[in-house]
Amino acid sequence: MKKLPLDGVRVADLSMMWAGPFATRLLAEMGAEVVKIESPRAWDNVRTLLPQPGAPEPWNTSYYFNDYNRDKKSLTLDLSQPRGRVLFLELIARCDCVIENYRADVLDKLGIGWDVLRETKPDIILVSMAGFGKTGSEKGFVGFGPIIEQMAGMASTTGYGDDGIPYKTGISYGDPIGGMAAAGAIALALIQRRKTGKGAWIDLAQRETMAQMIGPAFAAASLRGESPVHRGNRDARFAPQGVYRCLGPDLWVAISARDDREWWALARAIGADDLASLELSERRERHDEIDRRIEAFSARFLPREAAELLQRAGVSAAPVQDMNSIHQDPQLAARGAWIELPQARMRTWKQPASAWRLVEAKPKLRRHAPLFGEHNREILCGLLGHPEGELAELEAAGIIGNAPIGAREG
Amino acid sequence: MGEDLPLAGTRVLEIGGGLPAAFATRWLAGFGADVVRSDAAPEGLGRDEQAALLPGKRRVGVGDEKLRELALAAEIVVEDGAPGALAARGLDPRELRREKRALVIVSLTPFGQTGPAAHWRAANLTAHAAGGILSLTGIASRPPLQNGYSQAWMLLGLNGSSAALAAYYGSLAHGEGDWLDISAQECAAGMLEYYGPRAAFDNTPAVRLGNRVNCLWGIFPVADGFAGVCALQRQAPAFLNMTQDPELSDPRLLEPAYRLSNDAQIGDRVARWFRDKKKLDLLAMGESNKVPMGAVMTPLDLLANASLEERGFFDAVQTPAGEARIPGRPYLGMDWRAGELHAPAADTEAVLADWLGAAS
Repeated sequence: MKKLPLDGVRVADLSMMWAGPFATRLLAEMGAEVVKIESPRAWDNVRTLLPQPGAPEPWNTSYYFNDYNRDKKSLTLDLSQPRGRVLFLELIARCDCVIENYRADVLDKLGIGWDVLRETKPDIILVSMAGFGKTGSEKGFVGFGPIIEQMAGMASTTGYGDDGIPYKTGISYGDPIGGMAAAGAIALALIQRRKTGKGAWIDLAQRETMAQMIGPAFAAASLRGESPVHRGNRDARFAPQGVYRCLGPDLWVAISARDDREWWALARAIGADDLASLELSERRERHDEIDRRIEAFSARFLPREAAELLQRAGVSAAPVQDMNSIHQDPQLAARGAWIELPQARMRTWKQPASAWRLVEAKPKLRRHAPLFGEHNREILCGLLGHPEGELAELEAAGIIGNAPIGAREG
Repeated sequence: MGEDLPLAGTRVLEIGGGLPAAFATRWLAGFGADVVRSDAAPEGLGRDEQAALLPGKRRVGVGDEKLRELALAAEIVVEDGAPGALAARGLDPRELRREKRALVIVSLTPFGQTGPAAHWRAANLTAHAAGGILSLTGIASRPPLQNGYSQAWMLLGLNGSSAALAAYYGSLAHGEGDWLDISAQECAAGMLEYYGPRAAFDNTPAVRLGNRVNCLWGIFPVADGFAGVCALQRQAPAFLNMTQDPELSDPRLLEPAYRLSNDAQIGDRVARWFRDKKKLDLLAMGESNKVPMGAVMTPLDLLANASLEERGFFDAVQTPAGEARIPGRPYLGMDWRAGELHAPAADTEAVLADWLGAAS
């Protein structure tokens, strides 16, 4: 069987919430062995953020936590206790990478900063992904994805255009963007380490990776002093373009006529032959009128019906997938984009397969997200060689555990 | 200097001419790869996109036969043509992989190489719609709203960049590359926060929440623009205390269940508290109280931001319209070079000589 790219790479994962765990999900999908480290007193908050009503062990039964932490191992360690730190550093000596998304000052305060890690493992790779970086006058700002999006310029580019309001993305967009960049940063550092034998400390400010997503806006601002224009769903280069109401509540189809040919096809398909010869400048001027004609057409169909009909006519169109319809999407189904991973404490549900589809290696997701402390024995006794008898001692001292201390049962 | 860059000596061929491939290879060029862009005709990128995404790349104009030779001389090929387009030009990814086992090929498309919609026409908006994020953005009483600046394509490019690096590491470590088939739709569908998993688990629909997710998580109008807070339970006490607002100091507000059942009322009070504050004051309050506070910054604001300046975030690049400032290295800790913009096909002769050892 063909190896996955990151087979043989071990990652110590101190990250929590979404940005860091998203990075390590990608690394795990690419074959890395990811050891997720949580303290019995300070666990990944996502485990218990949205508990299933009445579910026992809510920290082990969160679909939210499961989706972003599958294929990882769980080690619990209280890093605020000296013995916890010693065990952590023993693990680091056997790891290639460490990743953390604490606030900028936390790793040092825990006594496991870059100098300590490098002393333990000279070629270690550390990725720190604080919201605003480890340096600079804003390093003390606290950032989650929705904050990052505002502070990186992204929110300023998004709006309906008629109310002057900037809008946040419907997801905490800064998180997965930071995570994707962090996964690439680890791969880059591994490449460099192969050449030089040296590790690296990567200071990834999530605000800066997010700002990259609107790179051309900075060119416009610096060259011409321009601020972002809110265009709603329209495009500066094409017309018409928009999201149009379909048959049923909150059902929509997205349509874009990218050139004269697509416009001609769209006009014919919606029965607006009288407008088919309009040039781009005329379509821009009469965009509102054209929108009404398109909506008179789209309102007769379900989103997929409208999109398929327009695609057959030669027009760019797609249903606006909501959270339910996306799990029934024929394209995603045909590509096996959803998988179900058995988990003893939960029924299965559709989780996304790896979007980084290696055509030859065909990575298979191996297992559900780890139960809290599920791999304590495997790692502490198997990998680090501690006697089994030590586990009870560590548990009694609250250094390890198989349930978060103070978490509420469902 | 160049030899110290992490990707020095790595050859990357960019074929396609769209935003996804251009963004995917932008960071590779900055980190030292010799990125060669096979220009499309007509050019698919706008002038600001070119300024932001093409610095540091050499540009060639060659026929399909030479392009194939360049692909086989590369370590990484990144392309964003339609499924089958590369094969139609004599560069079938499977054949290229058979000829060069270490080669990494990254194909970036709206819907992937296979499946009933693989050949669907797609614009950024329609690809964004298919991936689910669009349906969550905006407010419930209005249509779903796209993000600014072609996020379906940029997201696809970012995935392509990181995936290329992971696969390239695999090629170096195990001697085998691979062909990556990455779809914009799947990239988005796999990052729907908790809304996607929740619907998959129990069919709970998601409503567009606009700028107010809950009473302690939102963007609000302030005296000089818009600012926001994102306080989870851990930060709620600090935020409520920070406001020094008697109504928001009610101890019942510390209970998530109480906040949930009085969300609108508390949220309105929080909005009132924000109304007369200024962005920088709010950010300072957030920092000193360890509360996640934000302010809506524009690109112009960020170009003047002291922290980004201190961290050396922006690169300067000469364009035909003058000097542009664009995002430079995505993170600190690896050597980076700010590249220059090259003219279309300007490097054909040099690249053919360097990569193929031949004159054009």
